[in-house]
Amino acid sequence: MAPKANAGKDKLLNDEAEVLQAVVLADSFNKRFRPLTTRKPRCLLPICNAPLLDWTFESLALAGVQEIFVICRSHPEQIKAKIAESRWSKPGSGIKIVSILTAKETFSPGDAMRDIYTRGLVTGDFVLVMGDLVSNIRIDEVVKVHKERRKTNNDAIMTMVVKESGVKHRTRSKADSAVFVLDSKTSECLHYEPIMGYPPSTGAKIPREILATHQDVEIRHDFIDCSIDICSVEVPSLFQDNFDYLDIRRDFVHGILTSDLLMKNIYCYVAKEGYAARVQDTKSYDAISKDILSRWTFPLVPDNNHPAGHLYEHRRGNKYIDKDGTVLLARTSTVGNKCLIGSFTKVSDNAQIISSVVGQNCFIGAGAIVDNSYIFSGTTIGPGCVIERSIIGSDVNIKENTQIDKGSLVSDGVIIGPNAHLEAFGRLSKKRGSETVVNEDGEDEDEYADSEEEEVEAAQDSIELDLGSESNAIMWPLGAPDNEEDEDDEDVENVKNQRFMRLGDSASDLAFSDPGSESSDEESESSGEESDFGQRLGTLPTSSATSLDTPDGSSTIAIAESEFRNEVRLSLERAFTEDHSVDNAAVELKTLRMASNVPLSRVREEVVSAIVERIKIIDGGGAPQRQEILNVVSRWGPLIDKIGGVDPVETVTALQTHCASSERMLLFGQILAALYQDDIVEENDIREWHQSPTSQGLGLSPSVRTDNMKKCWEIGSRMIQQFDEHDEDSESESEDTEESHEDDNDDALDELESEED
Amino acid sequence: MDLGVATSGPLTREFSAVVIAGFGNELLPLTSNNGVEPCPKALVPVANKPIIDYVLSWIEQAGVKDVLLICPTIHRPMISHHVHSGLSTLHIDVQTYDESIESNTGTCTLLRHFASRISEDFILLPCDFMPPPSLSLNTILNKYRTESLSDGSVATSCWFAAHRPDKNSLVEDWGSIPPLVPIVWDDATGTLLQVDTADDLDRNSEEIELRMSLISQYPRTKLSNCYQDSHVYVCRRSILDLLQEKKHFDSFREEFIPWLCKIQYQRTKREKYGHILNPVTNLVTQDVSLKHSTLRTQAKVYSKNVLHQSNDADASSPFDPESMADSSSLRVGIMLHPTTAGFATRVNNIYSLLDMNRRLLAETTYSLPTDPQNRSLIDPKAQISSDTIIGAFTQISERTTIKKSVVGKHCIVGKMARITGSVLLDHCVIEDGAKVDGCILGKNTKVGTKAELTRCVTQPGYEVSSGESLKNEKLAVSDWTAGPNESEDEEEDEEEEEESEEEEETAEEDSEEEED
Repeated sequence: MAPKANAGKDKLLNDEAEVLQAVVLADSFNKRFRPLTTRKPRCLLPICNAPLLDWTFESLALAGVQEIFVICRSHPEQIKAKIAESRWSKPGSGIKIVSILTAKETFSPGDAMRDIYTRGLVTGDFVLVMGDLVSNIRIDEVVKVHKERRKTNNDAIMTMVVKESGVKHRTRSKADSAVFVLDSKTSECLHYEPIMGYPPSTGAKIPREILATHQDVEIRHDFIDCSIDICSVEVPSLFQDNFDYLDIRRDFVHGILTSDLLMKNIYCYVAKEGYAARVQDTKSYDAISKDILSRWTFPLVPDNNHPAGHLYEHRRGNKYIDKDGTVLLARTSTVGNKCLIGSFTKVSDNAQIISSVVGQNCFIGAGAIVDNSYIFSGTTIGPGCVIERSIIGSDVNIKENTQIDKGSLVSDGVIIGPNAHLEAFGRLSKKRGSETVVNEDGEDEDEYADSEEEEVEAAQDSIELDLGSESNAIMWPLGAPDNEEDEDDEDVENVKNQRFMRLGDSASDLAFSDPGSESSDEESESSGEESDFGQRLGTLPTSSATSLDTPDGSSTIAIAESEFRNEVRLSLERAFTEDHSVDNAAVELKTLRMASNVPLSRVREEVVSAIVERIKIIDGGGAPQRQEILNVVSRWGPLIDKIGGVDPVETVTALQTHCASSERMLLFGQILAALYQDDIVEENDIREWHQSPTSQGLGLSPSVRTDNMKKCWEIGSRMIQQFDEHDEDSESESEDTEESHEDDNDDALDELESEED
Repeated sequence: MDLGVATSGPLTREFSAVVIAGFGNELLPLTSNNGVEPCPKALVPVANKPIIDYVLSWIEQAGVKDVLLICPTIHRPMISHHVHSGLSTLHIDVQTYDESIESNTGTCTLLRHFASRISEDFILLPCDFMPPPSLSLNTILNKYRTESLSDGSVATSCWFAAHRPDKNSLVEDWGSIPPLVPIVWDDATGTLLQVDTADDLDRNSEEIELRMSLISQYPRTKLSNCYQDSHVYVCRRSILDLLQEKKHFDSFREEFIPWLCKIQYQRTKREKYGHILNPVTNLVTQDVSLKHSTLRTQAKVYSKNVLHQSNDADASSPFDPESMADSSSLRVGIMLHPTTAGFATRVNNIYSLLDMNRRLLAETTYSLPTDPQNRSLIDPKAQISSDTIIGAFTQISERTTIKKSVVGKHCIVGKMARITGSVLLDHCVIEDGAKVDGCILGKNTKVGTKAELTRCVTQPGYEVSSGESLKNEKLAVSDWTAGPNESEDEEEDEEEEEESEEEEETAEEDSEEEED
C-alpha cells in the first residue's frame, strides 16, 4: 500500500468498506493538439517530461483512489503499454488500473459515459476525471462531502470541483469558460452557462425561477473548471437515458439543471486551496508547465515525486536539472529561470534556454535560443536556431539557423532546415511516406486522423514551402484544417474560438471587438428602441473595425433578402392576376416570412410597393386616375394590415420610400388619401410619420431620391394642414398628441446621435 | 486642522439632504383628503410620530444641517408648519411642486427642477424610510466619502432586507405589495451592478440577463431578490448634470439607478457620460497617496484571489482591472442592511405601516400618563395592556380594553369598547361598545356604538354607523351615497359567517403575537 494514499483511504474504509473508483477519460475528443497527437494520444504528451496520464494518476493516488478505469479510444495500445510500465501498475502500489478500450464511434465524453454504463464498471460513487489533469486537490475531502450530502439528499448526484481563481488567470481558458450560479450557503449549482471567446457571448441569462427558491445566489465567473466530478452511480445511467448528451458540462450539467422532470441536484465544491487544471489546449499546456515549474502544484513538482520517476535537482530560480549528472551544460551557455532539463541532454556553447522545458537526450546546438518553448525528448536543435513559444515533439531534428516563430507545433520525427523559417502558428508533421512501417498494424491507426493527414498531404502543392532542403515535413494549413465542416460558430471548436486556445496567441483582436459591439447596441436599447436584428448587423462592422475579417455573413443575408423579395413579388403577382382573396394572399406572405426569417417591416415594404406598382398610371390624371387608385387600394389595401402586424406609420414610410424612387411619385398624395379613406392609416399615424426624422429625409445624402422624399413630406404637410383646418374644435386633443410626438422625436434624434457615435 | 475654516459658512458644507414627500398613493385611503384638508403622507404617524420625523432626526444625527424638502403645493402649509414647529436644529427649506394626486411626478423630474438649489453632493431621501437604530446615516456617508475619493464612485445606495407579510395576514383589498426586485452586486467592493427593472422583466420574463462586461469585470457577484431599496442615495453633484442630459428618466429608483449602474462597466456609456460624472477636479492630487493606501480594496481583492498574475507581456489584455481603476470607477456603491442588524422598512404601503407600528409597540411599555390633566382623561377602570401607546389628550372611558394598539392624540374612546391590534390616528372617536380589531383608522374616523370593524382601513373623516359590522375593507368617504345600502346587505351575510371566522382569526392572531 502506498503510504500517501493511506490518509484518504482510512477514512473511506471506516465509513463503509467501499472501494473508491475513478474513471479517467483518456481521450480528449478534440483536435487542439494536432499534429502532435496524430501518432500519440494527448494523454501521453509529456508535460515537464512526464506523460500527462502519469500526472493524472498521481493526482488520483493523492486522493486515495483504489481502482482506476482508463477509457481509451485512440491509440489504446500505447496507453496500455504506458500503464503497464507505470509505477502504479507495480504490485503493492495499492491501485488497480484497468484500461478499457471503447469503440471508435465514441466521439464525446457522453458516449464514453454510456459505454461505462453498458459495461457496468462502477459500483458506487466514483471520481470522473479527464486524462489530462494536473491537480493536488484533496479529492478525498470532496468525496467525503459528497457522501455526507448523499445521506440527506439522495438527489445530489454530482459534485463538480472548481478552483477559485481570477478571470485573468493564465490557466483559465478564455475560449471555454463558464458562469456558475451557486447557492451561497449550500454551493448547489443552480445554473450553468458556458461562455465562449468567439463568438463573444453577450451575457449570461439566469432563470428567474431560481430566486423563488434560493434567496442568496452567487454568480461566479472566476472558476477554473478542472473537470473533476464526483459522480453517483446513477450518472452513467442518466447519460444512457438521454442519448443526446455529449459534453459533460454543456449537455449533462445544463440538461440536469434545466430539466423539470429529473429533479436531480448538482453541487459544486469550491476549492480555495490547492491546484487543479486541465491541459485542454496548447495555451493551457504552456500555463500549466509554468505553474509546475513555479511550484504551484506542490507536492507535484519535478524535484519531488516526479510522476515519471525522474530525479531533478531544484536550483535557485526554479531551475531543474536532472540529478544523475548526465546533463552537459557548456560553460558559456545560459539557462534562465523556470527551466527544466532532462537527463543526457547537451547544451552547447552560447546557447540560451529561457523559461523552457527540454526533454531527455536532447541536443541544443551552439548559439541556439530556446525561448518559452517545450522540447520533447530526443530532439536535436542545430546551432543558431531560434525557437520561440513553440512545442517541439520528440526526435525532431531542427537543422542549423532555423527560425521557428511563436505558436508553432512540430510533430514527432520531423526534420527541418537548414536555414528554414517557420512562420508563427505553423504546424508541421512528418510525411507519411518517409515513415518506417511501425504504425501500419491497421487497428492502432486512427482512421479519421489518417484521412485528415492525407488531405493535408494532398494540399501540400498549394503551400509554399520554405522548410529547408533536407526537410521531410508537411505543413498543416493555417487556421483550421476543416473549413468546410466545422464552420458552425456555435461549436466550441470553431476556428476563431480555437485561437483563444493557441499557444502564444493573445487573440487580442478578437477580444477587442467584444465590448464595443456589445455596448453600442446596449446604448440603442437604453434610448427606448428595440434593437432588431438588422440594426445589430449594422452596428457590428463599425464597432469591430479591429476584428478579423468577418465571414461574409452580411452578403449571405443580402442574398437571402433579395431572394425573399423576389418570392414576395412573384406571390403577389400571382395573387393579383389570379384575384386571390386578401386572406389567402396574407397566409402565403406569412409563410414566406417565416421561411426566410426576415423582419416584418421588409414584408410591409414589399407589399406596399407591389400595391403601388399595381396602380396603372392614367395619362391626364384627374378623376379616372383617382378612381383607379381607389379601386386598387380598396381591393388590396387591407392586405397591408394582414401580414402579421399593424403598423400604419411604417406603412406610410414604406409608401414614401417607394414613391420617392418610382415613377408613381406624383401619386403619393392621392394614394395616401386613399389609404386614409380606407382606414388603413389614421390621421394620427400620418402626423406621427410626418414628425419622424426619416420622413423628412434627414440624414440622407442629397440625391434625386432625397428630393423626392422631401416632396412627399411636403405633400404630407399639406394634408396635415387640411386636417388641422378640419377639426379645429378638437384642437386641445391634438396638441397633446403633438407634444408626445415631440418627445418621441427627441428620443429618435438622441438615438440617431448615438448611432453616429 | 483648521477648525475655523472647516465650519465656516455654507460654502464648505459637505452634503445637503433632499427629502421628497409625495402624496402617498400607496397609503390610500389614509392619505385621502379629510373633508377639504389634505392628509400628507409625510405626516401620517407611526407610533404617534409623523413618519417624516424619523427621517429628519436621522439626518440630524448625521450632522447634516441643510434639508431641501420637496412636497406637493397643497401639502405645503401643513408640512411647513410641522417641520418648523419642532425643536430640530435643521435648516429646512420647503419647496413645492404642482401636481395632481393622479399624475405622480418622478424624482428625476423634481431633481432636474430643483438642481439649481443643490450646489454640493446630496443625500436623496424619501419621507417614509424608517431607519433602524443600528444603521446610522453616517455609515452610509462614510462609505460614500471613502469610495468617492479613493476610486471615484458616484453614488451610494442603501438596501435593506425586505420583510414579506405572512400569507395569512394579507388582506387583498389593502392593495398589493410591491414586487421584489432582483439585484446583482459585488460583495467584496460593495458595488451595485444591476437592478432588474420592469423593462427587463418585460423583455425577458424567464431570465435575468447579465452583460458579459459585467461578469468579466466583476467575476464574483451576488444575486438576490430579498433586498429592498431604501431610496436613500448619496450622490455626487454631477449626477444632477447627468439628469439634465437624460431628460427621459422620470423615476430615480426604477429607471435612473438601474441605468447609472450600467455606466461602470459599459465602455461606450463610460466614454459618453464619464466626463459629465467626473469633470476635471482635484481628484488627481489624491492619486499618489492613494497608491500607497491600504484602504483601497478593489485591486487588492483581485490580487488575493489570483494565484499569480501572468508576467508575460502577451497575456496582458487591455481590460485588466488596473487600467479601469486608473480612471475613476464611476461605481454605484451599495450598503446592505441585513435582517439580523435590525428592522428597517419604508412605510409606503398599509402593511408596512401596520407592521412598523406593531414592531414599535413591542419595544414600548405603556404606563399611565404622569401629567394630571392627561391622567384624568383615562378612566381607571379601563384595561390598557402594556404594549400600547396612547397619545396625549386622549380620553378613554371605563371598562374599555385596549391591547397592542396605537391610539393617537385627542381621541375619544367610549365605554366597553375593545381595541386590539389597531392603529388609531389622531382625533378618532370610538363610541360605546364598539370593537376595533386589526384596523387602521384615519384621522377623525368615527366608529358608532357597537359597530364592529375587523381589518379595515378608513379614510380620514369616515363615519362607521352604529351597529355596523365591516371586515377586510378599505373604507373611503366617497361612497357615502351608495355606502349604507350595500353595507347593510353585506352585513347580514357576514354576520352569519362571522362566528366561524372569528375563531380562525383569533388563531391567526395568536400566531402573529408570538412572532412579535
